[in-house]
Amino acid sequence: MISFLTSAIEFGVIFLLGCVGEILTEKSGHLNLGIPGIMCMGAAGGCLGVKLCYLASPTPNAFLVVLMGILFAMLFAGALGGIYGVLTVSLRSNQNVTGLACTIFGVGFTSFFLNNAVLTEGVSANLSQAGLNFFNAPLPGANSLGWFGTIFLNHGVLVYLAIVIAVIAAVTLRYTKAGLNLRAIGESPATADAVGINVTRYKYTAIILGAAVAGLGGLTYVMDYMNGIVGSTVDQTIQGIGWLCIALVIFTMWRPALAILGSILFGALYILASYIKGISFVQMSLLNMIPFAVTILVLIVTSIIGNRETQPPASLGLSYFREDR
Amino acid sequence: MKNIKEPFIHITRREHMPLWQGLLIRVAAVVVALVLSAILISAAAPKSQGFFGFFGSLFSGAFGTERRIWLLFQNTFLLLGVAVALVVAFKMKFWNLGGNGQILMGCLASAICMYYLGGKLPDPVVWLLMLVSSLVAGGLWAVIPAIFKAFFNTNESLFTLMMNYIAMYLVSFFISLWYPNGTGAMPPLTDGALPAIGEGAMSRAILPVIVFAIVTLVIYAYLRFSKHGYEIALIGDSKNTARYAGINVKKVIIRTLILSGALCGLVGFVLTGSVNRMVSTSMDGNMGFTGIMVAWMGKLDPLIMAGVSLFINFLERGMAQVITDFGFTSEALSDIVVGLIYFFFIGCEFFILYRVHFAGSKNKRTPSPEIAEGEAPKETPLPEEEGAKEARS
Repeated sequence: MISFLTSAIEFGVIFLLGCVGEILTEKSGHLNLGIPGIMCMGAAGGCLGVKLCYLASPTPNAFLVVLMGILFAMLFAGALGGIYGVLTVSLRSNQNVTGLACTIFGVGFTSFFLNNAVLTEGVSANLSQAGLNFFNAPLPGANSLGWFGTIFLNHGVLVYLAIVIAVIAAVTLRYTKAGLNLRAIGESPATADAVGINVTRYKYTAIILGAAVAGLGGLTYVMDYMNGIVGSTVDQTIQGIGWLCIALVIFTMWRPALAILGSILFGALYILASYIKGISFVQMSLLNMIPFAVTILVLIVTSIIGNRETQPPASLGLSYFREDR
Repeated sequence: MKNIKEPFIHITRREHMPLWQGLLIRVAAVVVALVLSAILISAAAPKSQGFFGFFGSLFSGAFGTERRIWLLFQNTFLLLGVAVALVVAFKMKFWNLGGNGQILMGCLASAICMYYLGGKLPDPVVWLLMLVSSLVAGGLWAVIPAIFKAFFNTNESLFTLMMNYIAMYLVSFFISLWYPNGTGAMPPLTDGALPAIGEGAMSRAILPVIVFAIVTLVIYAYLRFSKHGYEIALIGDSKNTARYAGINVKKVIIRTLILSGALCGLVGFVLTGSVNRMVSTSMDGNMGFTGIMVAWMGKLDPLIMAGVSLFINFLERGMAQVITDFGFTSEALSDIVVGLIYFFFIGCEFFILYRVHFAGSKNKRTPSPEIAEGEAPKETPLPEEEGAKEARS
């Protein structure tokens, strides 16, 4: 039971990062369906960062490895987010189509890049060493505080980073001027523009930052949850996770703080099948449907309630062109 | 006046652009993307065949042998079928991202008929049951989100996306039920498969080509000339206008999505019944997503989409050859090149819809109609109107 809870938290933060990244993007009025591809890019970038450390020295500093992984994950994911930004903000393309193109590109790029540029000889061993020893190093006290330590302190650094990011995002959106401006842009960019907010700059910042945060989700999956083991279908798995992240945004009603709980619930649902003993493949395929079915249920319920609090930003999905009226 | 800071770049919406210019911009964007891919790939390849070798391999992969040409056409028409199915919904601004799931359900329904009834009933009866059940299964997978969209305005893009995964696990459920060895693979079935027409690669390609050529023409006429098509277009423009005109919006949404899903199911029927004769969780080949790109790049016009579909499949088949010839091991390279093409194609649309004016250039935007009229006429077919519009603003 305790190992189920710890795994649920570990898997949940992958959803959390993807979800918070998408919330930031959507608050600027941009529905980014490229999140699955962007999360893949994060995984690809992170693996490259770790590999570079091992190229520099066979016994790299643990802190440096984690930092490089995070940096490169954010860089790669941010780059694809940047492409999405240029196309949808500056060139005012259709957001759904651009997002899908980003997903197709990102997933393909990751699969190719991992196989051809990252996973050369000996690198798999390096990656799993880094994943196991560096990314999953527990906090002090994890083993001496009983079940509390095991559930809450026994995680890698990325898990805590994810929760910190979610809290910062929640506070920024709710209580700061920048957050207020961003929310204003998402509701009505023309109004925000009229009061002198730099709409373009805010949109770019939100999209690229959101992509970088989502990219960390990909890194967390590979380095924290999989302990640095890069399977051949990693791009497909992250793609599935990415779509759930977008759904989770609706589930949590665009609130990063609520997303912490929602994502752990999703994490639990996602790994449920592998924690029930003696399960057959037949039953497993049915259990694997649960997170997707629950998402549909939530979509239906929130739309029937139709409460104003649960609605998306008003200008979500629409391009903003100042001279339109 | 001197102190007013003018922005360096100014953007205005174009009133009109002649067809050939729009085509030229799009072709240019695709050529730039292809040249860029060729440079990158020939530089990074383990066994580079050079810049021109890239295009050689591309063409040989798509058209090299008779078998390859048949495969190209088979995939082109399958993808076209999916894109045409999705267009019906897109015209209504209903984002059906569930093509993958609807195809899989069609495949699954056919496979169930083949598995349980193949060999027990006369073949023509099985074929008929396969066809009907595929259409129903695909339609069902699309109509569930449509009902909720119609009555509760539930977000259809996410709903249909989630349905993809439920379909996928449903397929894996049946495969592990039938073949409980855990490999998740299914051997091709012989009983109940559709008959082969002709020989070799042609025998499997001919059915999708004929079926989806007909479907495309019918849907083209349906959208363009029928009353239903008019209702769909009107709802796409404005639901309120449609309601005011006396159209039952809910009914049209549900009816249209049944059609959209059933056509995806038809693709599944052909895939399982004729092309593959079995079902797998990845049998949709991601055509639900690629079909969206085809529909959008083809301006939602089934006839243009046929060309786009041919081009995308030309790239995919050609890239398979490039990957072999250039010594790559990962098939995903083809997604990267196709993705690049998408980016450039999506981006170039901006230059068709908008004009960019640079401060200090001859093309500068100015409130004075005389100078506006002198703007490079080859870019603006109607300089007077453009000038008049700018004078107003």
